[in-house]
Amino acid sequence: MSLEVALPLSIALVATVVAAMFSRTTSLSLIMLFYASLILGIIFATYGGIVPGLVHIITFAGAISVMLLTVTLMTGESRLMIGSFRLALLLSVVSVPVVGAAAYELLQGASTSSTLSIPGVTSLFQFIWEFRSWDLLILVMVFATSMTVIVNFFSRKN
Amino acid sequence: MPSDQVVFTVTAVVLIFLGLGSMIYSRNLIKTVMSFQIIVFGANLALFSSGIGGSQAYLSQTFVLFSIFVGASVEAVALALIVLIHRKYGTLDPREIRRLRN
Repeated sequence: MSLEVALPLSIALVATVVAAMFSRTTSLSLIMLFYASLILGIIFATYGGIVPGLVHIITFAGAISVMLLTVTLMTGESRLMIGSFRLALLLSVVSVPVVGAAAYELLQGASTSSTLSIPGVTSLFQFIWEFRSWDLLILVMVFATSMTVIVNFFSRKN
Repeated sequence: MPSDQVVFTVTAVVLIFLGLGSMIYSRNLIKTVMSFQIIVFGANLALFSSGIGGSQAYLSQTFVLFSIFVGASVEAVALALIVLIHRKYGTLDPREIRRLRN
């Protein structure tokens, strides 16, 4: 695998960690740390370590969620961007074309992309090897955006 | 042109130093635990990158798995201690806690 995959992933990892360190609120820092954990899991999965990647994402997602709950309940931080109608609208407008583009890329890439053929792997997670790593990253971004949109819509007071 | 292994090793070192710096200068116990997690991320990445392209890839991945479990367990214990400290002293600032203890 070439540097054009390793370098952006590394830069994204360091950027999310720096954002986590310098965020004003602890809850926002934890959210950025979750994204850092996600990127690290993607690095593991992309470079053949699918089991450590998935275990990493699952374990630290749970750990960071518990920390987020603890922080929110303990310190009473309420400056999370939850319940903002404008943000939900903005994310909806942004996410629809991204979802369309990602789906189109996936459909195109499934037939034309060069796959990382790993012999003996015909299991549940085969799609991770069959699609290109960038498609996986785009999918993760789309899922994250969708989750934020849903949280924003359903947490409104009215 | 550096290889992927070199890029990931450099990233791991950067992560470890960022975590150490944040751990030293943070004034919030939650952020201290987060810094510990960043150090664990760096250690995991260093372990993983040491096996890329070699014949010992599965050995390094096994060590990464161990490190993930140990890191998560340590974080859970640290979080429990933080809850206890917050209940007792009402703050998460280590200097304030030291002042209240004295």
